[in-house]
Amino acid sequence: MRRRSFLKGLSAVPALALLGNVQLLAEAKKAKPKSKNAISFKKALEVVTGGKGAKESDKVQLIVPEIAENGAVVPVKVNVDVPIEKVKSIHILTTKNSNARAADVFLTPRNGKAYFATRIKLSGTQNVVAVAVLKDGSAIMASKPVKVTIGGCG
Amino acid sequence: MNIDRRDFLHIAAALGLLGVSGGKLHAKKRADELKADDILEFDPVGKVTLLHICDMHAHLKPLYWREPSTLISAKNLVGTPGFLCGEAFLEFYGIEPNTLEAYFDTYLNFEELAKKFGKMGGVAHMKTIIDEIRRDRGKDNVLLLDSGDTWQGTAVALKTRGEAIVDAQNYLGVDVMVGHWEFTYGKERVMELLDMLEADFVSQNIVDNDPFSDTFEETVFKPYTIKEVGGAKIGIIGQSFPFTSTANPKRFTEGWSFGLRLDSLQGYVDELRKEKKVDCVVMLSHDGFSVDQEVARKVRGIDFILSGHTHDPGPRPITINGTTIIIAGSHGKFVGRLDIDIAKGKVKNFAYKLIPVASKLIEADKKGVELVEKWYKPYNKELMQTIGKTKGTLYKRDTFYSTFDALIGEAIRDRMDCEIAFTPGYRWGTTLLPGDDILVDNVYEMTAITYPEVYTFELKGARIAQLLEDIADNVFNPNPLYQQGGDMSRLTGISYDIKVNAPTGKRISNLKVNGKELDPNRNYVVSAWGGNLQNAGEKLREDKIKPVYDVVTEYVKRKGTIDISNRSNVNVLDVACGCPKKGGVC
Repeated sequence: MRRRSFLKGLSAVPALALLGNVQLLAEAKKAKPKSKNAISFKKALEVVTGGKGAKESDKVQLIVPEIAENGAVVPVKVNVDVPIEKVKSIHILTTKNSNARAADVFLTPRNGKAYFATRIKLSGTQNVVAVAVLKDGSAIMASKPVKVTIGGCG
Repeated sequence: MNIDRRDFLHIAAALGLLGVSGGKLHAKKRADELKADDILEFDPVGKVTLLHICDMHAHLKPLYWREPSTLISAKNLVGTPGFLCGEAFLEFYGIEPNTLEAYFDTYLNFEELAKKFGKMGGVAHMKTIIDEIRRDRGKDNVLLLDSGDTWQGTAVALKTRGEAIVDAQNYLGVDVMVGHWEFTYGKERVMELLDMLEADFVSQNIVDNDPFSDTFEETVFKPYTIKEVGGAKIGIIGQSFPFTSTANPKRFTEGWSFGLRLDSLQGYVDELRKEKKVDCVVMLSHDGFSVDQEVARKVRGIDFILSGHTHDPGPRPITINGTTIIIAGSHGKFVGRLDIDIAKGKVKNFAYKLIPVASKLIEADKKGVELVEKWYKPYNKELMQTIGKTKGTLYKRDTFYSTFDALIGEAIRDRMDCEIAFTPGYRWGTTLLPGDDILVDNVYEMTAITYPEVYTFELKGARIAQLLEDIADNVFNPNPLYQQGGDMSRLTGISYDIKVNAPTGKRISNLKVNGKELDPNRNYVVSAWGGNLQNAGEKLREDKIKPVYDVVTEYVKRKGTIDISNRSNVNVLDVACGCPKKGGVC
């Protein structure tokens, strides 16, 4: 789809990405080492899944670059292959940021599709994890490593 | 031509020229008239021919280029194509030692064979091969595809800001290309040069770097092109170097975002097959040979990947999951010929040959000679100047250490008064034989980049150790998708031990600076060029910034005779030899 056709169809298609960016900014500001907002990945996963944890599933498609071009703005796309009526929220977590919670997105059926794209900050090489919490209380997830490097030896 | 019958038999055997009928007479008859015909001999298949070149690095003239004598990788990749050199290479591909092919593909006996077989590549010689195949197959049945790293690597390229090379590509008749070092001329210059270039530039993996481009797949260039050749529709998807913005300075491509983008790649493959109904899907790639083997494992429906970036000569195609991958070495040493038989919308059969551009055996096309002369003329006075002589072979490549890099490191240390010098692990350059004069042109062949500045700054010991680990992880990562395809940065003033197969961040030990153990808390004076290292340092010495080619030229002039040791400053702990064979341990 080209941007033009997207803009034309804006009323029909939900602009989910906007939501994420706002959330992200707030999170990024908080992400200072050892801040009072520091939260580990383990704890964050517990919080978003209500202590139940999440199962790896290929229904969650996570698209991230293999090597970040800029660790401060790493593009992340999540598509959850589950009818929107059954999806409550999508969460993007990181395994090594001092604040592991990068974005929380709560969905309604009017979003049309459980899809979300944003950019997150990564403090170094680590895994990015996308968690989808379903309305039945269960959670599914996908995880991918992203390398943050100074590069320059190609 | 100083090729006797014995040499011819070597060449003929290597190239499979001697038929079942033995051909003793045949060979005898032709021994003293050995020409392009013999090297070009090919049993044609189908109607379509794709000619492939990659990583020419702007070498308009023939040169010597010695392949690596050390090529170390993570354990799981040892002995696989992309990580083969020397005897392991000969064994894998079934090549006889001391043949023309062995000379082109390995470092073995290089100096002796160089005298016998002469220089490699050159656009005038490439053109003879390309024209002959076009004549033979019919020009409408042949495409010439260029996997990039074509515009950069020599003084004429740098001084004409790429124009000389684009002129040469038009002369060769390049039809489609992708890029990597091309981008280091900067976005605006790239666009100017692409206007001059008569080929299509395609790339599915470069998009505008704004939050929405990704989502809407707004590629900067056409993602693919469709060519009608030999009665078939061929879809050619472009894949430029995925890590351009991390491997080279970001400022050249500000606003563009790269990456492998395998999801959109799959999308374009499907689009070509289902909507555009092409008969054959080709990916013209600058991913690197090992990365493209991963791509073949992950993406469905590509018939052929024409790879580049890692400079591997690939005498035989490899097929993974129905995708066949070829790669044609570097520096203009080879032209790959791929014949394809297409019927009923499908690839039925193919045949491949990696043709060595042996400049002593293949006649130069006159127009090419004139073209090269034309572009060199304004610079000959500077470039043909002899500034010194080398005692031993000066070469680039190898995983940790090579003599030409050691010379550059020595020159930087001498001139910049630093404790440690970093030289990048690029895989392009040149080779000089023992006793050869060193020309200014040769220095440029090793250093001609648009960001030649040698920076001198301070780096904390702990940071140096961390950076080396980071670089080692780009080279030795067991997953090819996380490698960037270069060799390890070269260090002068530092020695270290390395365990290639240790986990990330734990590979390097026994770091010594000029013989003393590295102090993690002390600041060291470091000089570096060709990378982003200066961004990690502090107290940059602004008054000392100087182009690396000037630093090296001045040093060689002053020294006169260059004598560089073959001894590496890196001690590999877990792998025993230069060119490991299959099985993990040498």
